[in-house]
Amino acid sequence: MADEYKGIKTFDQKEWVKENLSYKKDSGSWAWIFHRVTGLALIGYLFLHVYSLSTLTSGRTAFETKMQSFLSPPLLALEWFLFIIVLFHSLNGVRIVLVDWADGAKYHKTLYRFSWIIGIILFLLMGYIMFSHEILKFFGK
Amino acid sequence: MDIRLKILRYNPEKDDKPYFQDFTVQNVSPDWRLLDVLHEIKWKVDGTLTFRRSCAHGICGSDGIKVNGKNRLACSLLLKDMNMSKTIVIEPLPSLPIIKDLVVDMTSFFAKYEVIKPYLISKTPPPPNSERFQSNEDAEKLFESAKCILCGCCTTSCPSTWTNENYIGPAALLKTYRFAFDTRDDGGDERLDIIDNPDGIWRCHTIFNCIETCPKEINITWHISQLKKRISTKEM
Repeated sequence: MADEYKGIKTFDQKEWVKENLSYKKDSGSWAWIFHRVTGLALIGYLFLHVYSLSTLTSGRTAFETKMQSFLSPPLLALEWFLFIIVLFHSLNGVRIVLVDWADGAKYHKTLYRFSWIIGIILFLLMGYIMFSHEILKFFGK
Repeated sequence: MDIRLKILRYNPEKDDKPYFQDFTVQNVSPDWRLLDVLHEIKWKVDGTLTFRRSCAHGICGSDGIKVNGKNRLACSLLLKDMNMSKTIVIEPLPSLPIIKDLVVDMTSFFAKYEVIKPYLISKTPPPPNSERFQSNEDAEKLFESAKCILCGCCTTSCPSTWTNENYIGPAALLKTYRFAFDTRDDGGDERLDIIDNPDGIWRCHTIFNCIETCPKEINITWHISQLKKRISTKEM
């Protein structure tokens, strides 16, 4: 790229945090912020995932004990929460592809709403699948 | 009725840093534009308040300011479209150095605009006794992008601009579309090469702030997506 415009002082780059916080946000900004946050969360989860799989090196029993501990309700709930992070990141990823490759930029707000609606439905469905045993027990079946 | 305003003031000769000053303007009408309120302050309350304006009818694009956290043109914003019971917060356009009060230094904005060669590049001479022909269908593809008035609201509203001062910005990309998709122009590839780099078009993360703020209601992101498609299919 022709570089003649580069290096012209715009403003103190430290201001970007303040600007991000103060500027009025619409669906597009929220989608971008959530996409970044969920992306970082997924990177964090990846490390956790590799760490939990690392017990495989200590043998089958150690691994199975570890896996058993993930079945406790609080960890299961966390896993359910992980699912919404995966859901948002992937559905919004599809939205971004549609914006860049189809005419999605013309319908970006509808696409954003749809990704939430589909996401929430799948989230609840997954919740039912994961906790069906507890739910049925609660209703006495 | 009366309205309250909070305006960011900065005089580099006197002040260490920008500060907010409160104003109350009496007897305003909901039909007034925000620019009329700024005039009222400048003409009757404080003559040192500095802001740009020229045509005052949304054509010249010189009075872009940040109003209640969003970039707007002061001349295209009616008071009745805002919550008049709340204090209106007015700041200069973000991410540009302040010269005085609401006047910002647009040097970097126009340098980025010029870099994409915003003029007709033609390798053939024009027809001897007529203009260069363009069909209605081809012209229609450019109408929306040609509405840009270079107010700078989009580029300065973009989070990518805030974090990377070298990002070329939506206004320059929109102008690239205007010429790259012009059937009379031969400089398309040249311009696409200029914007095809990490500080160029690929810094657009489809955040849509530019669309939300554009006073001419141009769908800038759509035009950028057309450029992205053309660049990525160029080699195919």
